[in-house]
Amino acid sequence: MKQSTKIYFTLLCGLLGMLTVSVAEDSAVRENLSRSILSEGAEQRQQVAALADTGSKLVHDVLVAWTRDNVFLVTTGAVKIPVLLEDLTDPNGKARAIVIADGKFLLDENKKELRFGPTELTAAETDSALRGVIQQTLDSLALADPNPDSRRNAILKLGNSHKLKNIAVLQTRLAKETDASVRRSINEAIAMLQLGDRDPKIQSAAAHQLAALKSIGSLDMVTALANNKSAAPEVVQAANQAIVKIDGHIGVVNFFGTIFRGLSLGSILLVVALGLAITFGLMGIINMAHGEMIAVGAYTTYVVQNIFGAGFAFSVNLPFTFFGHPLGFGLHLPGMNATGAFYESYFLFALPLSFMMAALVGLVLERTVIRFLYRRPLESLLATWGVSLVMQQLFRMVFGANNVQVSSPNWLQGHFTINDVLLGYNRVFVIAFAVLIVIGTWLLLTKTPLGLLIRAVMQNRDMAACMGVRTARVNMMTFAFGSGLAGLAGAFLSQIGNVGPSLGQSYIVDSFMTVVVGGVGSIVGTVYASAGIGTSDQILQQVTGSPVTGKIVVLVCIILFLQWKPGGLFSIRSRNLD
Amino acid sequence: MTQDPPTTKFVLTLEGVNKTFDGFKAISDLNFYMDKGELRTIIGPNGAGKSTMMDIITGRTRPDTGKVEFDFNTDLTTMNVPEINRLGIGRKFQTPSVYIHHTVFENLLLSLKGPRGVFQALFARTTSEQRDRIEAVLKTIGLTAKKDDLAGSLSHGQKQWLEIGMLLAQDPKLLLVDEPAAGMTDEETHKTGELLLSLEGKHSIIVIEHDMAFVRQIARKVTVLHQGHVLCEGTVDEVQNDERVKEVYLGRKKKN
Amino acid sequence: MRLFSKWELIGVGAAVLLMLVILPCLNAFTPESSWLHVSNFTITVYGKYLCYAMLAISVDLLWGYTGLLSLGQSLFFALGGYMMGMYLMRMIGDLGQYHQPIPDFLVFLGWSTLPAFWKPFSSLPFAMLMAIVLPGLLAGIFGYLAFRSRIRGVYFSILTQALTYAACLLFFRNSLLLGGNNGFTDFKFILGHDTREPATQRGLFVASGVALLLVYLFCKWLTTTKFGKVKRAIRDSENRVMFSGYSTANFKLFIFVLASLIASLAGVLYVPQVGIINPSEMSTDKSLEAVVWVAVGGRGTLVGPVIGAFAVNAMKSWATRAYPDLWLMFLGTMFIVVTIFMPKGIVGLPAQLKAVYQKMAQKNNAGFPVPVDAAVQPVKPE
Repeated sequence: MKQSTKIYFTLLCGLLGMLTVSVAEDSAVRENLSRSILSEGAEQRQQVAALADTGSKLVHDVLVAWTRDNVFLVTTGAVKIPVLLEDLTDPNGKARAIVIADGKFLLDENKKELRFGPTELTAAETDSALRGVIQQTLDSLALADPNPDSRRNAILKLGNSHKLKNIAVLQTRLAKETDASVRRSINEAIAMLQLGDRDPKIQSAAAHQLAALKSIGSLDMVTALANNKSAAPEVVQAANQAIVKIDGHIGVVNFFGTIFRGLSLGSILLVVALGLAITFGLMGIINMAHGEMIAVGAYTTYVVQNIFGAGFAFSVNLPFTFFGHPLGFGLHLPGMNATGAFYESYFLFALPLSFMMAALVGLVLERTVIRFLYRRPLESLLATWGVSLVMQQLFRMVFGANNVQVSSPNWLQGHFTINDVLLGYNRVFVIAFAVLIVIGTWLLLTKTPLGLLIRAVMQNRDMAACMGVRTARVNMMTFAFGSGLAGLAGAFLSQIGNVGPSLGQSYIVDSFMTVVVGGVGSIVGTVYASAGIGTSDQILQQVTGSPVTGKIVVLVCIILFLQWKPGGLFSIRSRNLD
Repeated sequence: MTQDPPTTKFVLTLEGVNKTFDGFKAISDLNFYMDKGELRTIIGPNGAGKSTMMDIITGRTRPDTGKVEFDFNTDLTTMNVPEINRLGIGRKFQTPSVYIHHTVFENLLLSLKGPRGVFQALFARTTSEQRDRIEAVLKTIGLTAKKDDLAGSLSHGQKQWLEIGMLLAQDPKLLLVDEPAAGMTDEETHKTGELLLSLEGKHSIIVIEHDMAFVRQIARKVTVLHQGHVLCEGTVDEVQNDERVKEVYLGRKKKN
Repeated sequence: MRLFSKWELIGVGAAVLLMLVILPCLNAFTPESSWLHVSNFTITVYGKYLCYAMLAISVDLLWGYTGLLSLGQSLFFALGGYMMGMYLMRMIGDLGQYHQPIPDFLVFLGWSTLPAFWKPFSSLPFAMLMAIVLPGLLAGIFGYLAFRSRIRGVYFSILTQALTYAACLLFFRNSLLLGGNNGFTDFKFILGHDTREPATQRGLFVASGVALLLVYLFCKWLTTTKFGKVKRAIRDSENRVMFSGYSTANFKLFIFVLASLIASLAGVLYVPQVGIINPSEMSTDKSLEAVVWVAVGGRGTLVGPVIGAFAVNAMKSWATRAYPDLWLMFLGTMFIVVTIFMPKGIVGLPAQLKAVYQKMAQKNNAGFPVPVDAAVQPVKPE
């Protein structure tokens, strides 16, 4: 018991810190508070109830403290002064007292701050009637909170309280409330409470009301009512109707929720497939390590996050020795220990960096492996699979075999709610950015001189070389760009999925199929295909609840589709035979 | 001088054929008739639709509309490439395509007229009659000495001949030959011309060619294609003096 | 055409003697203390390699001889393995941990009686029939659709990869009633013999050896027939083959189904020797690994895949023990190097070295005429 008091005490004092700072708080409120603590009986209850409309945090905190016997009365002569004790105690366990009426420290005649131990003072007493009023006031206070979300939470709490008397509180609030969504919640809560009424008519009406509101939160209560043996038949019937309606609504909400999740994953796939469309479609290289480029991007985001935080370090020991010296490698990047808005901005730095890292890896890959394999697509598939194995193992050695934790910055947490469907900021961001990237890539390839060069080289390498295009350089840049896109996709993925060594594997099959269906060599085709297949694959996976059904359905559809259009959606048909 | 009236029995009939690729009209309202045993040469600038016409005849491309008939009553538009080939239509590609990892003899053996099924291929035996036939073809194309060499080791001209030989081994009724002289020396070109002329009468032959000297050597009747339909038909001289042809070629007719 | 060259005959003969006679005899008839003794462990490991070699031949039949790089061979291998596994699971009887007459995992899933499709698998002939029918049917349907729409080259690889990936996900599911991600294990008897007995393992080893030999001879015969010639012709110029009146789709379909059956056979023999089959055997990575064996050994030959399967797996056994963390790096690096620098694998190495030697000789003796290598490949028309 003592322990818990202490915890409350500290909690409270934490709040007091704020109290003392906001001295400009309406002094009238303070006066009223102070007075109500000192008065007695019915008058006191009336005064406390009158505090409800202030919506003030101060009132809330003091009232809570009061019910927990943490409001004390200091008697100086005949005058009693209600105070709270500060959380900072001196070595004797004594603390300064804050006068509730003005928020200042209590001083003695010599203007010296007085200190008390909690045991030295009398707590302001409360009886059960007063506590009831305080509780009601607290509830109403919460209903008057300036933040609509907090208001809704408070309303929901009341709705679930099973106490009919709360209906009055809610109705009072309803009369004052202007926010439409909060009004809706109040109606919902009132109806939920009315389910517990004795009058079957009111109960039925409440059930109908909840059905009309499609109140997901009331489902448990309505179900309980429907199963209640002693309830009137018409009530049970109304409850059952409401259940059907609410269940239907839940279905709709879940459906759109999963479609939204599918869309966000699909849009990542779009970026991945776009990179692949460039390396595979335009260059004819089957890069099985494209998935690992995603992982490079995701891990870059992870490292950037750590650099903004406590820093990043790893060391790997190889099982070899060189003249007796053990071989290994490692890296230590000091952290910036950033906090606040600067720390939250890490993702903005991670985005370009993950693009650049993946592009860099792509560049190295192109120079060391790929350039030997132009015109040998099957061989490129095999060699890059080797690269993919090596890279996965490297990830395991550096970052460990388990998933690493990439946290979303504050500004990507939270969500919009549209008709009970939650739209997470992170996913909305991902979708929007994916669209931007696609448009950007399309502009780059079709509207810039570099795009012209890229397309020229990809269509006829020899001819382009004859025209003085430095094809080796264009190859390099193109491959790096395609890889960079995968890296960017990885950065996004880190916001909505797990980051682990085999991250890329789950995307590679999908993205290859996307490119095949889109028609090799056609950027537009890839965009259409990934928007279509990629997304529908992800949506099917989400809706059917198993990755298998979705995959198989999509695979079968693709095979059938290729019966109809063997060259893909936008095949570049050559009229010449060989 | 435009179109022959369809009165006789033709080995090949194309009527009202259209084909569009991604909005590009490769073949437009093409009418083409050919007699049995005829050696016909088709010329036309790049993009005139020569190769697409070959594709349509051999079943590689399906026409959007129109009639394609072989032996005056066999509809080709519903058949696939191997089926059409088995009817007796052989095709030689522009660039030589032979089986480079097989010997010349094997190349011809695989092309010999005969059953084409999977299981027949499993248990096929090479008969002495087949050998004789291959020897005869080898002699025609002048590669007897090379018969056990890998086709990949042949020169460009020899590969072209081998491919013509592979066509002959199929004993087709109709031969489609796409630019046989491309990349050949003058001497090889001339030899190729003689080879084709020697086949006239036994087979119906369509030759596509750019090289006017070669055309002059082999041509009996020339068809000029332009923008996917027949511009004019006639002898080499008639065609070369045709104003429309001059206009289309913009002087290119004097090539070589 | 002669079936075997002299060296090939000697090599194959020696291998057959070693595998089918010497190793089993040394295992059976020498005391364990003798330095000549071949341990049971070695027999099991080599038996595994023999199955891998069959799988590699099936990959090569498609890739090396027909130009179809299938990434679905692990699927057919695992399908065969699963059919055998179902029979072996039935043979456990009620000796499982739960002492029920149905496999343990079914008890675990809440089944008390055997699902209907499990019942006939108590019969080995039925299981073997299924090991032919199922992969054959799957390969038939998939191949028919794929070849009909003329899917080839990398498209074929990608689609087979997708097929395998989807099947692998399917087999990971418990609701398929095939053991989920644990698959089948803890086998007890095969045809009444204890699977853990050395004699049984020896028998399976010899059976695998014989099967490999038969597969090898059959494929060898196949390459000499007109069928084999058409197949290689398809690899060189599919257009020419089609325009010669052959329905290349049918030829490819036949070879695809045949290769799937060989892979399935390998799986059938593999499972009782290693004593486990689970969906990870089906993953596309396993297919790619088999492709590595073929690439390392030398594609387009029949000896190559066998050599490759043994060499890579022997190296894997060693490396996974010596450098468990680095094994994948070895494999990956080896694959990159082989693909780029040794397109013909181990089998082609002598010719490659010879070419290098001749080049050097040519440099040293300028003007000395060097015979043109007839095997130099001209650029393939695409």
